[in-house]
Amino acid sequence: MAAAAAGSLRRAGWGLWRGRAVVRWQLSPPQRPLQASAVLRRVSDEHKKEPLASSSQQQFDSHPADHQPGQEPQGPDPSYTGQGSQESEDYESEEQLQHRILTAALEFVPEHGWTAEAIAEGAKALGLSAAAAGMFQSDGSQLILHFLSQCNTKLSELLEQEQKLVQQGEAEKKPIDQFLRDAVEARLRMVIPYLERWPQALSILLMPHNIPSSLSLLSSMIDDILHYAGDQSTDINWYTRRAVLTGIYNTTELVMMQDSSPDFEDTWRFLENRIADAMKMGDTANQVQSTGEAIVQGLMGAAVTIKNLTGLNQRR
Amino acid sequence: MSGLSPAGGRAALCLSLSLSRRRGALRGFAAGPQTHFGFQTVTEEERREKSERGGGGGARSVQPPGLRAGARLGVNQVFESVAKKYDVMNDSMTLGIHRLWKDVLVRKMNPSPGTQLLDVAGGTGDIAFRFINYVRSVRERQLQRRLKHHQNLSWQEIAQSYQEDKSPLGGSQVVVCDINKEMLKVGKEKAQDLGYSEGLSWVLGNAEELPFDDDKFDVYTIAFGIRNVTRIDLALQEAYRVLKPGGRFLCLEFSQVSNPLLSRLYDLYSFQVIPVLGEVIAGDWKSYQYLVESIRRFPPQEELKAMIEDAGFFKVDYQNLNSGIVAIHSGFKL
Repeated sequence: MAAAAAGSLRRAGWGLWRGRAVVRWQLSPPQRPLQASAVLRRVSDEHKKEPLASSSQQQFDSHPADHQPGQEPQGPDPSYTGQGSQESEDYESEEQLQHRILTAALEFVPEHGWTAEAIAEGAKALGLSAAAAGMFQSDGSQLILHFLSQCNTKLSELLEQEQKLVQQGEAEKKPIDQFLRDAVEARLRMVIPYLERWPQALSILLMPHNIPSSLSLLSSMIDDILHYAGDQSTDINWYTRRAVLTGIYNTTELVMMQDSSPDFEDTWRFLENRIADAMKMGDTANQVQSTGEAIVQGLMGAAVTIKNLTGLNQRR
Repeated sequence: MSGLSPAGGRAALCLSLSLSRRRGALRGFAAGPQTHFGFQTVTEEERREKSERGGGGGARSVQPPGLRAGARLGVNQVFESVAKKYDVMNDSMTLGIHRLWKDVLVRKMNPSPGTQLLDVAGGTGDIAFRFINYVRSVRERQLQRRLKHHQNLSWQEIAQSYQEDKSPLGGSQVVVCDINKEMLKVGKEKAQDLGYSEGLSWVLGNAEELPFDDDKFDVYTIAFGIRNVTRIDLALQEAYRVLKPGGRFLCLEFSQVSNPLLSRLYDLYSFQVIPVLGEVIAGDWKSYQYLVESIRRFPPQEELKAMIEDAGFFKVDYQNLNSGIVAIHSGFKL
């Protein structure tokens, strides 16, 4: 009943609007409160059902504004920190709602795979209609990319914390190979809950229209690891180190997918060996170069000797 | 008043305007806000009661039961006269391409089993039947996948699986709503002929005032119908009202062509060929004249997108089919 009254009030308001010159609000879509967030809070907050329902109807009648005095009796929700200048703390943008749907959808991935069905189940878990999954692409790529960026964020936080501990002197600074090994292992362990469906995810990421985004996420992750490892190179080493680590990461990931040993011991041993190889490769490169130089000099000497012997060197 | 060329249309416009003004004075009430009926500018009352001009002589239609006063007899009259030949005319006018457009719409919708669809102005049921087919095949795949996992089950699990929902549609429902009884009748007959029985309902109703409760449907579609609505903003608000939170609004409609060469060919085809086809196949020149003119008067893609956003929808976007001849607008109630 309140809804009907509010609806008719709103329509009367619309009638007034039509009389004036129509001004297109380029900013208005993000400013308007998402009704879904009011619905979701209603679902999660049993006690405050009534005031929320009526106040969410009110906000459609009044002129869309940033502040609704007395709208939320319990004060700003702590999970929505004030992001973006246009929204007050209680409203969330479409982006935030999309992130929430994707996070909720991750639970359904083991059952449905990385598909639009999992996203639909996630939307239903949040109290929205399954049709909300139409907001995302139908191949499920946005779900995978969301998961990847979540993992990368978690990894950065982990490495940041470790660095703080080292700076405060509470932990020993690890040698480079140990550090890389731990970082890659930590990152790969985040994939373990979804390991059964991970091959599907990788194949979707390899599709041409997904390659730019997946590649950028991968490279930013590798960059993060090397940054916290203390890499400050400014020459060709910057590129070679990243390329080598990317190769190690990708191959270890592939090994992990067909690994059936307890707690993936085989995978970690493989990782250890590859990193050891990479370390040795640096030394070997130098050795090869000096050996090469020595060989070239030897050949030059041999050539001169032969010339001397055959008398080509003499001027006649 | 054949009105083939725009000039002829304008002459008819002056004539109809003067006639309508005189009629308004006779009736003694103020002429209401102006709107359009094809290329003619008329009052809203006129558009609703446009029987002499639109129907081309012939009996005034009896007002269908259940509609409020001010029912749109004019548009009603147009569709009553074309209801029986609607599908045939669609095929001949668009050379059968309208089937592809409707297929794209349902594929874009990507419905899962359990979806509640409201198809407004969907009289002959094209979208409804495609929806049912799509959901049926998705549901079959779902059940097959479940069967694959059912190879090594205990007796308890087998007993449980008998209690599971195995219905072929998985709880999906379509409500087809139309303002015109004739179109619904044709739709019901088609459903019987094609063998669609479950999951379908046929409701008589006006898009500007839907006879449904709030927050009822997952998806609201209106295919080639929003053009005929007098107050598009009201229809959009009603769509917003009846959709669940998270629900999707989809609108398939003729729109403006951006490519100038294609636009010239399209205009030529529309004004020269389509009314002739209408006369030959359905025996009704004027209705198809109205159709083509209403397409030209309809707001272009960006304007319709803005109107949908005004109604409260988020993530509003449109997809042009055939470079703008037809556009699918989509919005979410978030």
